[in-house]
Amino acid sequence: MKEKLKSGEVLFKLALFFVFSCFYIGAMSYPLDSRQFPQLLSSIGLILTLIALAIDFIRKQVLEGEIGDVDDTELRVMDAETKRARRRRFYQAWAIILGATGIGFLGGFLFSTIFLLFGFGLLFGHRDHWVKNTIVAAALTVLVYFVFGSIMGVPLMDGVLW
Amino acid sequence: MSMDVIVEAIAFVLQWQNLAALAGGTLYGIIIGVLPGLGPSAGMALAIPLVMSWHPGTALIFMGALYKSSNYGGSLTAILVNTPGDASNAATILDGYPMCQNGRGGVALGLSATSALVGGTIGMICLMYAAPFLAEFALEFGPAEYFLTAILALSLIAAVVQGATVKGLIAAALGLLLSTVGFDVIAGNLRYTFDWAPLEDGIPLIQALVGLFAVTQALVLAESAASISRIAKLSGGFLEGVITYFRHPAIMIRASAVGLFVGILPGVGQSSAGLLAWADAKRVSKHPEEFGNGAPAGVVASETATNACMPGDLVCTIALGIPGSVGAAVFLGVMIIFGIVPGPLVFSEQSQVIYSLFVALFLASAFVFIVGITAARHLAVVTLLPNNIIVPLILVVSLLGSFAIRNVMADVMISLAFGALGYVMLKRGFTPIPLLLGLVLGEMVETNYHRALLISGGSYSVFYSSFICKILILLTILSLVGPYLGPFWKTLTQGEK
Repeated sequence: MKEKLKSGEVLFKLALFFVFSCFYIGAMSYPLDSRQFPQLLSSIGLILTLIALAIDFIRKQVLEGEIGDVDDTELRVMDAETKRARRRRFYQAWAIILGATGIGFLGGFLFSTIFLLFGFGLLFGHRDHWVKNTIVAAALTVLVYFVFGSIMGVPLMDGVLW
Repeated sequence: MSMDVIVEAIAFVLQWQNLAALAGGTLYGIIIGVLPGLGPSAGMALAIPLVMSWHPGTALIFMGALYKSSNYGGSLTAILVNTPGDASNAATILDGYPMCQNGRGGVALGLSATSALVGGTIGMICLMYAAPFLAEFALEFGPAEYFLTAILALSLIAAVVQGATVKGLIAAALGLLLSTVGFDVIAGNLRYTFDWAPLEDGIPLIQALVGLFAVTQALVLAESAASISRIAKLSGGFLEGVITYFRHPAIMIRASAVGLFVGILPGVGQSSAGLLAWADAKRVSKHPEEFGNGAPAGVVASETATNACMPGDLVCTIALGIPGSVGAAVFLGVMIIFGIVPGPLVFSEQSQVIYSLFVALFLASAFVFIVGITAARHLAVVTLLPNNIIVPLILVVSLLGSFAIRNVMADVMISLAFGALGYVMLKRGFTPIPLLLGLVLGEMVETNYHRALLISGGSYSVFYSSFICKILILLTILSLVGPYLGPFWKTLTQGEK
């Protein structure tokens, strides 16, 4: 229930406030013609973010008054478990993506492809289906190499190592 | 509109490579539409690397067919598995899925395919005639008018798509601000590049687009353990659906009119068109109680309006450079990527490409119908692919698209950064669509802002002196306060009741 208070959303708006401020300050060193437009936009962004934060603050007070005495412990426990599982998958996905990008820098994009396909197949696929997942990943890698590398001429093997 | 141009356009489209692009775009669009969450925007982003080296005309034919047919793909899953492929198919669920549950899924698919053919054709005829007139009117526009039109589009998209005007405007402001990265279009100075070479030409549009739509969607899918959906039982005759469609001529005409009108309004997308037409058909029906329980007329209304809406969307996009919807905003980006700058002059300077696109969209409606008859029901099987295959496939194709443009891994990083931004925005109740529109329109807004001030000698009165400017300002204000006026008016007239 108290999820409605959305603290994450407030944090995101604070982050946006910081970003708009950085854009405004960053533009101060530019000549007049170059800084006029970004500073105008940053100012608008700052004002809008402040309005959004003010709306959140007012809504929070109203919601606290309405739901303050509601016992939602059971609901929160169930919700937390689902959230934890989703979060774990999300972090795993990012680990694979960042790993693939790093490998791509070193060995070329084809290695990123292999890492992505095998990584998701092994971490996200069903354990009993690992042979099938491996075959699918291998087949897709070959397909990507054939379509993008051979036909379209994308340098898939260009990395800093060679 | 001269006949020579049309004949030339037909001859161009009938070349084998363009017909292949048309067929490929149609099939690809249906597959993209079938996958819930992957709408035309993500579909176009994923297809960019494939078409980058093509002739601009061929590439636009592919993208146009994709954009057109993804709606039909979305209706397949709406009817078969109660999951709309895109928001535009939301209204189809209301009667399409109950029809499927009643054992008339094939009839519903027939209705949907015929709607694509009829609604799309009516919409295209209107587009072909309306767009040049609108372009002629746009010649009256100066820099101040263009600036204000872009601001109107941003405020409309921010207010309508987001549903929360302030959040939408924040996203639009961020998009405009991000468009200032790189070389300043007026003075030529570098801004916000942090001496990083890949940003000197500005934030690359394709990479940002791929990140905001494809990477974000992949991350959202990655969170879920299962496949996208389970397919339902399909029965009933497709041909029966085609015949049933033509038994509702009044609904067909009304829904086409609703779709076209909604399409022309910037920011009001296909989902609104479908729902409005469905509500209208129910209102005028002799048996309104059947609506929502599998009434064929409900499917006819929602699908015809949605299909007629898409050409309406494109009118403003092509003639004014102001997108009518999210998909049209991405299509605008695609046009710019291929060096086709939308606006009134595009009809004279790029007439062959534009009219070829129109002809191709005509044919795409027929292609959708043919695919509907032959293969569509089998394509719905892709929704059964597990996420551990779909997610890396989306990531590989989209990131490869980013990489292949300049062959630098820095572009992959830019896409991932935008993917992360899009994901956080979605999770925090913001939609990345106004941000993308801000990014697309940013250069136009800044250039026209400076030009208008240059013409007026620095006086801001240039932005409200002409009649068109006043109308545009009024519309912008209305678009911003409009969402709040409805409830206020209700309270005023009905009191506490």
